[in-house]
Amino acid sequence: MTTATARLLGTTLLTLAAGAAAAQEELNALVWCDHTDPKLIEPFEEEHDVTVNLREYEGTGAALALLEQSRPGDWDVLVIDGIDVFRAVEAGILAPLPEDELPEADFFPEVVMKENNSADGVTYAVTEKFGYNTISYNAEAVDPADMQDLSTVWSEKYAGRLTIYDYYLPVMGLAALSAGIDTAAIGETDLDAIGTVMSEMRGAAASVGGVVASQTALATGEVDIVVGGGEWLTAVLAEEQPELTWTIPDQGAVRWSQSIGVLADSEKPDLALEFVKYIVSPEGQARLATSSCFWGMPANAKAGEHLTDAQKEVLRWDEQDAYLANSQLYPAPDTDLDIAMQDLWLETLQQ
Amino acid sequence: MRALPWLYLAAGFLFIYLPVGVLVLFSFQEGTLPVPPFEGPSLRWYAGVLSDDDLTAALLNSVLVALGQGAVAVTLGFLAAYGLARHVVPGTVFLRALLIAPLTVSYLIVGLGLLIVVQRAGLGLSLWTAGIGHVVINLPICFAIIYASMGAQQQTAERAARDLGAGEIDVIRLVTVPMLAPAILAAYFLSVTLSWDEFIIAFLLTRFDVTLPVEIWSMLRSGLSPRLNAIGSVVFLVSVTAVVAAELLIFRRRR
Amino acid sequence: MSNRRDSLKGWGFAAPALLWTTAFFVVPFVVMAAMSLATLDGRTLIWGLHADNYLELAEKRYLWRAVLVSLEITATVTVLSVVLAYPLAWIIAFRVPARWQRLALLLAILPFWTSYVVRSYAWLLVLAREGVVNQTLMTLGIIAEPVTLANTRIATVTGFVHFFVMLLTLTIYANLVQLSPNYRRAAMDLGANAFQTFRHVILPLTLPGIATGAFLTFVLCIGDYITPQILGGNTELTVPQVIMVQLGRRADFPLASALAIVLMGLVTLAYLGAARWLRIDRL
Repeated sequence: MTTATARLLGTTLLTLAAGAAAAQEELNALVWCDHTDPKLIEPFEEEHDVTVNLREYEGTGAALALLEQSRPGDWDVLVIDGIDVFRAVEAGILAPLPEDELPEADFFPEVVMKENNSADGVTYAVTEKFGYNTISYNAEAVDPADMQDLSTVWSEKYAGRLTIYDYYLPVMGLAALSAGIDTAAIGETDLDAIGTVMSEMRGAAASVGGVVASQTALATGEVDIVVGGGEWLTAVLAEEQPELTWTIPDQGAVRWSQSIGVLADSEKPDLALEFVKYIVSPEGQARLATSSCFWGMPANAKAGEHLTDAQKEVLRWDEQDAYLANSQLYPAPDTDLDIAMQDLWLETLQQ
Repeated sequence: MRALPWLYLAAGFLFIYLPVGVLVLFSFQEGTLPVPPFEGPSLRWYAGVLSDDDLTAALLNSVLVALGQGAVAVTLGFLAAYGLARHVVPGTVFLRALLIAPLTVSYLIVGLGLLIVVQRAGLGLSLWTAGIGHVVINLPICFAIIYASMGAQQQTAERAARDLGAGEIDVIRLVTVPMLAPAILAAYFLSVTLSWDEFIIAFLLTRFDVTLPVEIWSMLRSGLSPRLNAIGSVVFLVSVTAVVAAELLIFRRRR
Repeated sequence: MSNRRDSLKGWGFAAPALLWTTAFFVVPFVVMAAMSLATLDGRTLIWGLHADNYLELAEKRYLWRAVLVSLEITATVTVLSVVLAYPLAWIIAFRVPARWQRLALLLAILPFWTSYVVRSYAWLLVLAREGVVNQTLMTLGIIAEPVTLANTRIATVTGFVHFFVMLLTLTIYANLVQLSPNYRRAAMDLGANAFQTFRHVILPLTLPGIATGAFLTFVLCIGDYITPQILGGNTELTVPQVIMVQLGRRADFPLASALAIVLMGLVTLAYLGAARWLRIDRL
């Protein structure tokens, strides 16, 4: 081997070694798409000198399925619908969180939701964001007064002009509300009534789509109404298209809330906890509230200090009391009812 | 009436280029939505795409996987084609059918099967598992192309070399491979192309390090913007350049 | 060289490829078939010979409808693509001057190299109510109001046909140029006009090529997830979409496997239907 080759080999080996030593610690998080905004993640990455790997999912079932298919230690942080935390706790997936280190005293009281986020007095998750699955619409294309009554929304008048957000829980919750059934009280016997409403909805719908598909359809004028939409859908588009707005109808709307927790199998529990604390801190909350995929109200009221007036307007900060009062939580079915609801959803989609 | 074929040709090309044209046009969109009216032109989306770390990482991963799995597929395919074409193997019809079989199975099924096995075995998903899946779908193509090219001409040359005292490995190295170079290169090129743009197997079998189609898919899921147009146009440009280069450098020589 | 040694050598060369195919294709396929006969009790997997998944498939409307939807769409796409691509391939093979043929062909398949995902998305833009197609139709006065084309079966079929026309143009062209011009000359000498030549000479000779292309189209189309997912509007689902729903939302691998086996079954039926003309090992 010539000296030149030896030198080259030596430098390469040294660089590789140095590279390996400097390899950053990684944190793996399973999240909704609003956590992937770099302006939310980068400050944390820089401060702790780590890389945060994010995997998005849409729908709790998808997250739980993914976790089941992974090995222990694959994931560190989980963002999950508030109403489904109990499922994760039952499956033994989440690790307990130290209550005293979380700023829940600064939260909007209605969204602390201790009953959802803890079991047997142990806190497993903390609410990080909330909002509403209700009716989003194009104010220039439809009559806003019609949007106040759920049954008019998906009536003949707007046939072909609406899209349905592709998440069965909140949309079936809305169907239940329009049939006069409380979401918390949904049982097997209510499925017929809900199914009838779903068929009406489907009859009037042009399509069914996830977060981006619904945004696209509304933004490009393919549809004028999104059933299951809300501020989370239209806030992102509000700047360029102020005619896209939302409302909570008289029958009420469904309130979504996201909780964040640390996974029991995580190999980096301390770092994971730091991440959770960052997300619920006022600055983290403000960034999460206005992140690129969808907006929503921050759980921590102190985040208001870091939001601009314009942003608060879009989020309708001052009207939250009324909204909170007129909204109900997601349906929380047990396993059998859940499967029945999912089947009903797919059946009505395929008419 | 005489112009009918040309009209049809023109209409055909119009249809074929419609989405590409719209894609490229709205990649220069000034506003945030890639739909008419066209405002612009602006290069902001290209700037965004080229500075997106996730995208460049995914692009690199795609290239690595495509080139790597192509090499494996072509090597295995060549060896198998040589073995079955130049030696008398009982049950050769069955073996050929076995090697070709994956061609008739949808990619989704190939990916699903591998996913189940990898999970049952407790192994992790990565670019390697995706690469393995890609070799599975490309091996039959490489085998078929090279097998079909093994004709009498090569056999004669090989026999001549044998008569002159060359061992089998030398014959392969010095006679077979060079003579089959166009077929081997065509097979390699085709495998790389298929792997480069393959979605479902890569989607099922990777975790955080993803390939470009998977990354584009998550872009589609997490933000509507002309960014997608920009990356599509970039991919198109890169691929077209590669194809033209391959055409000029590799395939022209055959003439 | 003895026959034994010879065949052993042959085995030796072919072994790596055979091992790979067995380990990473045959074994997963068998495991998946076994999985389709397994069942889920809550979240626990129970192996065995349970027909639950297949029964579920026959019972639940949204499952067997998915099979019908897949078949309808795939059949439409296959027929349309062949009918549209054949003339295109013909024109390039027999009307375009020889030195421009390669270029014409290359141009015809160049859009292959945009990303498949992005290309489907691009069709969404083209077919949007504010998109190019609607704008053109309105400008030409053919329609007064935009027509909903995106998020429908029409959009899915369009996206598919676009892809397969390119693919089939390539394969049919390859087939056509292999034909010896003597056939056409002989037919013309015997007094046949262009149409008769086509119907009685060219068409039968190219039928194997068409059958292979059509079969390929069928397989690729029926197993595709992306195009229906992006363009179809999700108001009717195809089998791949239903499989992904089972995987994504419920981790119901047994049901997903059963659906995959059914998909395989459909492809096998198509193969048997086209077997007369297919020579897969001479692709």
